[in-house]
Amino acid sequence: MEYMGIEPGRIHFSWISSAEATKFVDVVNEVTSTVKALGPRKSFVKTPLTTAKNKAA
Amino acid sequence: MLSYNEKIRHIAKKILAEGKVEIVIGYRRGTLPMINEPCFIKHPEDVTRLIWDRHCGINLTNYLTQRKERIGIIAKGCDSRNIITHIIENKIKREQLVIIGVPCKGMIDRHKIASQFEEEIQKVKEDGDKIVVTGGGIEKIWKLSDVLQENCIICTHRNPVIYDELVAEPVAEQKDVNRYEDIRRIERLSPAEKAEFFDDLLASCIRCYACRNVCPLCYCDTCFVDGSQPQWVGKSQDPTDIRTFHFLRAFHCAGRCTDCGSCERACPMGIKVRTLTKKLEKDCLELFNWEAGIDLEQRPPLTTYNPNDPDDTFR
Amino acid sequence: MNVIKIDKKTWTEGIGRLQGFYRLIGPVKDGDFYQFKALEKGESPDFSMLNTRLSPKSIIYPQSEVMFEYSLDETRDDCHVIKEIQVEYSPQVVFGIRPCDAKAFLLVQRNFETPEYKDPYWIRLYETTALIGLACNTPCSTCFCVDAGSGPFNDAGLDILLIDAGEYYYARVNTAKGEKILKDSGWSEETETKDAELAIENLKQAAENRITARISTDRLKEKGVPDLFNAPFWEDVAFACINCGTCTYVCPTCWCFDIQDEVRGTDGVRMRNWDSCMYPLFTLHGSGHNPRDAKTKRLRQRFMHKLKYYVDKYNDGIQCVGCGRCINLCPVNIDIRKICEAMNGFEPEQKSI
Repeated sequence: MEYMGIEPGRIHFSWISSAEATKFVDVVNEVTSTVKALGPRKSFVKTPLTTAKNKAA
Repeated sequence: MLSYNEKIRHIAKKILAEGKVEIVIGYRRGTLPMINEPCFIKHPEDVTRLIWDRHCGINLTNYLTQRKERIGIIAKGCDSRNIITHIIENKIKREQLVIIGVPCKGMIDRHKIASQFEEEIQKVKEDGDKIVVTGGGIEKIWKLSDVLQENCIICTHRNPVIYDELVAEPVAEQKDVNRYEDIRRIERLSPAEKAEFFDDLLASCIRCYACRNVCPLCYCDTCFVDGSQPQWVGKSQDPTDIRTFHFLRAFHCAGRCTDCGSCERACPMGIKVRTLTKKLEKDCLELFNWEAGIDLEQRPPLTTYNPNDPDDTFR
Repeated sequence: MNVIKIDKKTWTEGIGRLQGFYRLIGPVKDGDFYQFKALEKGESPDFSMLNTRLSPKSIIYPQSEVMFEYSLDETRDDCHVIKEIQVEYSPQVVFGIRPCDAKAFLLVQRNFETPEYKDPYWIRLYETTALIGLACNTPCSTCFCVDAGSGPFNDAGLDILLIDAGEYYYARVNTAKGEKILKDSGWSEETETKDAELAIENLKQAAENRITARISTDRLKEKGVPDLFNAPFWEDVAFACINCGTCTYVCPTCWCFDIQDEVRGTDGVRMRNWDSCMYPLFTLHGSGHNPRDAKTKRLRQRFMHKLKYYVDKYNDGIQCVGCGRCINLCPVNIDIRKICEAMNGFEPEQKSI
């Protein structure tokens, strides 16, 4: 994913057991804060359809 | 490699005549320079149509998928590795096949030559370690090693890894090959630079799906880009949809791709599609010490769990 | 029909002047090959190409084209109303169309502009576009335009045909649109039409003599559809086919499309995208049944359409202009010349080719 140009920190993988409530909270907080810090994605976002109209024409 | 012809025809004739196989899959002479046409032979007397030269780059394993008859197939190193992958993935049975192994010294990159030749190419001739290209009143000579397909230049499995007959003595394998320099260069880019790099790489894609359809790994009945219930990917020329197709297709080839180069060879727009698949091939080697299509007995890394598997991405 | 002579020294000047009136499109080198692109200010079309990688059909018939838009926002008055897209069609001029590709527009027109049915999108773009051709002095070995009803100097479908004669171009004007462009450009060196036509005829003969690729189409019409349909050679010619869309997408005469809706949030558009008869989805029915469920059937369809159904329906040659792109770009060397010969020469009792 990083190879495609997606910033490190935007995608997280975690293994959390159903017994690990505190770990779950920690991970969610961490994910949201790192992603918020990165801000909205710039690439790999589809152009809104209204502006993409017939650009080839 | 031109001398292989006699031997290939001899073996094909023998296995057809003895009834060991019903068809032999190989190549016949193309109608243009630098391209041959995959074909099948049913009758022993037709084997003279089979040819072998430096323009047999299309991976023939693609033509085996789900076939029911007994088949003789001509296989260079990469084709043989894909045959193994096909057997592991239950797309063909080993007992159905007589594999005619061909030690390979690399295939000519037709895009590379065409892009360096201003006129129309009319004739291409091999002359020792040189290749002579003529057309439009001009002649150009290249060293063979300079105009091979990129994947052949860095190939480390030139000899078939599985075969029933071998048409010639094995060739020397290339040692100390720097396989991943181009991938490392991309890995070093910043995220924004990477995104821009792939925008440029895929800008000319026309979504003809030649890369996918020529690939022996892409045998799904309905590809994710074609499905409409649900529809995963838009079907227009939207750059994001085009990127989605290419990246996801590459992911589907992880741990299976043998870097045979057919995708790049097939692309009518000359896109370097291997830039995507090779990254995953590199990762599989570095993370799981895995090369696809070497061993019939070993399970691919993405279908097995090993306690020693790296898990740095998990927290 | 008159001919003028354009001194190459005044060429860029005229292009510059035209840029004030029209949007200009022409072949430019893009990486390893040539493509038709909008010309920037001060940019001239690059005529050193043999031909462009992709055909110019997308100039009039874009690969993806939005036709309608709608809103799903129920607070709006026009919610759920499908409205035709509003597009500004400014006049444009395309330079450097090869005669084969120009003829292709006339074939495609058969599909988009018929007495019963008129495709507004295609027609509007076609009518606002002027086509300036460039005769082929050096046709390639895969060009069979002459046998496909065109030719290296054919001006069918062109507003102006340019002929490169060394120091200058001859420009043969065919239409009022062409006249207007010449007037706007300022190129106006009159020449004795008779002399010019003679010079053009000589160049044309030389070019036609260079054509080596031949196909025979004379007997396609008399063949029976079921005979050709059931001919045994299809299995052999279709074996190598990987069912990609390359041949159909690079073809200047393939016109099929698929209609898709795309919605984002409450904004939706209905668009059409090129489709290909090589794809299994092209004929997949809602029931799950697919009448062309094998690649041999799909390949057969492409060639039967171009070389038989079209021939029978319009009685005006084949649906191919002989540009040779599909031959050059097919990843596995499926060659329409070979298939046309097989079809044209087919006799029902014949066992195989």
